[in-house]
Amino acid sequence: MVEAELWLFVLISSLSYMTPILLATIGEIITERSGIVNVGIEGILLSSAFASVATSFFSGSMLLGVLAGTLAGALLGALFGLFAVYLRADQIIAGLAINMASYGFTVLGLIAIWGHHGASPRVEGQLPYFSIGQSTVPLLTLLAILIAVLSWFFLFRTRTGLALRACGEEPRAADAMGVNTYRYRIAATTLGGTLAGLGGAFLALEIAGVFTRGMSAGMGFIALANVAFSGWNPLPAVFGAYVFGFLSAAADALQQEVGYAYLLKTLPYLGTLAITVLTARRSRAPLRLGVPYARE
Amino acid sequence: MVPLVSMKGITKVYADGTVALRGVTFELAEGEVHALLGENGAGKTTLMRILYGELRPTAGEIFVRGQSVAFRSPQEAMRRGIAMVHQNFSLVPSFTVADNLYLAVTSVKPMRRGEVEGRARELGARLGIEVPLEARVEQLSAGMKQRAEILKSLLLDAKIIILDEPTSLLTPLEARALLGLIKELKAQQVSFVYVTHKLREVKEVADRVTVLRKGANVGTFQVSEVSEAEMAKLMVGAEVERVRRSRSGAPGEVLLEVEDLAARDDMGVERLKGVTLSVRRGEVVGIAGVQGSGQKELAEILAGLRRPERGKVRLGGVDVTGRSPREMRRAGVLYSPESREEGLALEMSLVENSVLARQGEHASGVTMNWKSAEERARQIVERFRVVFTDLWERARNLSGGNQQRLMVGRELESEGLLLIAHEPTQGLDVVSAEKVRGEILRFRERGAVLLISSDLDEVLELSDRIVVLFEGRVVGELKGGESDLERLAKLMGGAL
Ligand SMILES: Nc1ncnc2c1ncn2[C@@H]1O[C@H](COP(=O)(O)OP(=O)(O)O)[C@@H](O)[C@H]1O
Ligand SMILES: [Mg+2]
Repeated sequence: MVEAELWLFVLISSLSYMTPILLATIGEIITERSGIVNVGIEGILLSSAFASVATSFFSGSMLLGVLAGTLAGALLGALFGLFAVYLRADQIIAGLAINMASYGFTVLGLIAIWGHHGASPRVEGQLPYFSIGQSTVPLLTLLAILIAVLSWFFLFRTRTGLALRACGEEPRAADAMGVNTYRYRIAATTLGGTLAGLGGAFLALEIAGVFTRGMSAGMGFIALANVAFSGWNPLPAVFGAYVFGFLSAAADALQQEVGYAYLLKTLPYLGTLAITVLTARRSRAPLRLGVPYARE
Repeated sequence: MVPLVSMKGITKVYADGTVALRGVTFELAEGEVHALLGENGAGKTTLMRILYGELRPTAGEIFVRGQSVAFRSPQEAMRRGIAMVHQNFSLVPSFTVADNLYLAVTSVKPMRRGEVEGRARELGARLGIEVPLEARVEQLSAGMKQRAEILKSLLLDAKIIILDEPTSLLTPLEARALLGLIKELKAQQVSFVYVTHKLREVKEVADRVTVLRKGANVGTFQVSEVSEAEMAKLMVGAEVERVRRSRSGAPGEVLLEVEDLAARDDMGVERLKGVTLSVRRGEVVGIAGVQGSGQKELAEILAGLRRPERGKVRLGGVDVTGRSPREMRRAGVLYSPESREEGLALEMSLVENSVLARQGEHASGVTMNWKSAEERARQIVERFRVVFTDLWERARNLSGGNQQRLMVGRELESEGLLLIAHEPTQGLDVVSAEKVRGEILRFRERGAVLLISSDLDEVLELSDRIVVLFEGRVVGELKGGESDLERLAKLMGGAL
């Protein structure tokens, strides 16, 4: 009986773990559909986690924290877009730069604000949720699933979505058809950053309740794997994110039951590896993914 | 009367310093087909991209119906009724035709999707340019893609349609259909700029012709008042001496035998479906066929770059099926691929490219002997007149024509028995193209040549025999030199 309860608990708390990965994945899908690859979402998750904790620490408001995290993500997404789209920087290097800078600045921030380089104090408060039996599900998780559905609708059922995908498939053709490739691409990186930012805020305020250094712990990269797994489609991404969330939740729960802490912590990463290998050949990336576009 | 379009003193300097246009003046009258004639690199595409708002001129003025305009994007040009069909098309390949039409039309004026499709059907039926709206563009033939593009222009109410080298990817039959369509649309008050380097097409379709040479307008004429020879002279700037093939003696023993060869392309599409052919020493065998008939896969198999699914390749009687590129080279195969990106390492220097795949001949032990490599590079650039600033500059910095000369030159300078030349003269001006053709003919003394080219005049002129491929099968064989363009064209279209 204890067994069953434990599994039920894991299945429900997987929803929580799934949320930041899902949001980051949707953001990255939108970004990549426009032809830009942003490996900096790992850093965006981290930076926005920090921004959200710092803001709610000073303001005492969780909601303001979420807002600040989202905003930080938007800014970083726009900054990345500026480099990748207008300055035609190497997208991988620009993304890695965001990751490294985020790590450095958040550690610096930890020390500057709290005089501590490991973790912030716990933030007080609770984000809105609703209950299923004895478990609770955060409202933001539902929002994330809703965003997945809306993003699918946006990408595959609206004219703007069609134009955005055209930028990722054949920017020259899109341009010749009167689609402003530059604008679409920077809008996509900004929107992508915004969603990752919301994910980072959720990670810090809902899942952890504190900011710890390097707390994104590869979630951004898991999201990148999930993008390919889902075939650049937000709907399967929900399933993929849930699988990853489940592996994280299971690792956490089992660790309390049986020990082997370090070994179990590798579950989500092993899962990522497995899925990446298994799906490598299945889906096709946007044709011009990662290629800067210049009209002349 | 005010001309429909008037471009005055257009100069274009690209970001990298290339001066593509030097004060060009061009006029298009209402209801005419105006040919824009010039060699590769003359600036035709640049001039038209400026008119279409894709590029901004460095200097110069543009008037549409007498009004000064300065387009900042194709959208603005489309609003003035100008549309352009690019040489390589500008459709999103993974989208359906309907998606493409919808996207293009709605970027100029709001319209519901159903309405776009309805009008496309109605217009297509009226003009006989039906295109399957639900098919993905990448599944269409070049001719279909072009119709989709023209349909797109018409949906945008274009009154001026720019066609950039419109027949370059078409079968001869499709090309003829296109010329018919142009005449039909002309009758409905659509004006055309017809960009080409083919004199014959100018004579067939155009009312007036403007000749561009090295970025300058060297004359505008009524087509009826100027001969092909005069146009050729203006276009090139000199009389062109054409290679005349001297009949070779009787061909020697069989050098290459290909038997029942079948292969797929990278996407897994079956491209070769059992091809059998042979090449004798002393022969040039031409391969003709519309793009995608299997010629690329054939060349790649012979170069060792692709494994056949079935069939045999014998070279001098020895079975070499499935050997690696290195082993094929050892066996005497020289390969100049269709794409310069494949044949050259563009980020490496001229010297490095000159010895690519033959490094061994310029090494002592494990170290390269760069002196001897430079020597080879110098031979190539001198013999093939490659224009460069430094032997150690990156090949990417060369213009397309010079890259082509370097790539073909490297192969022709190498030891070998069988030359596989895929589009050997693409991007070359008439004079260098003739030079390369002369060298190809000369190669017969050393062995044999398999010539794959979409330039039918070239194939007819150089080949002793022509093998025609259609959808991965040999559909016919002609004697070269007999100039039966008509018959060749029919075979290429699959008509037996
Ligand atoms: N995007 C570009 N950047 C720099 N140079 C270019 C570019 N496009 C074309 N050119 C150069 O401008 C010249 C004219 O090219 P183009 O207009 O394409 O000629 P055409 O269409 O007559 O073959 C050539 O020397 C070509 O190399
Ligand atoms: Mg051109």
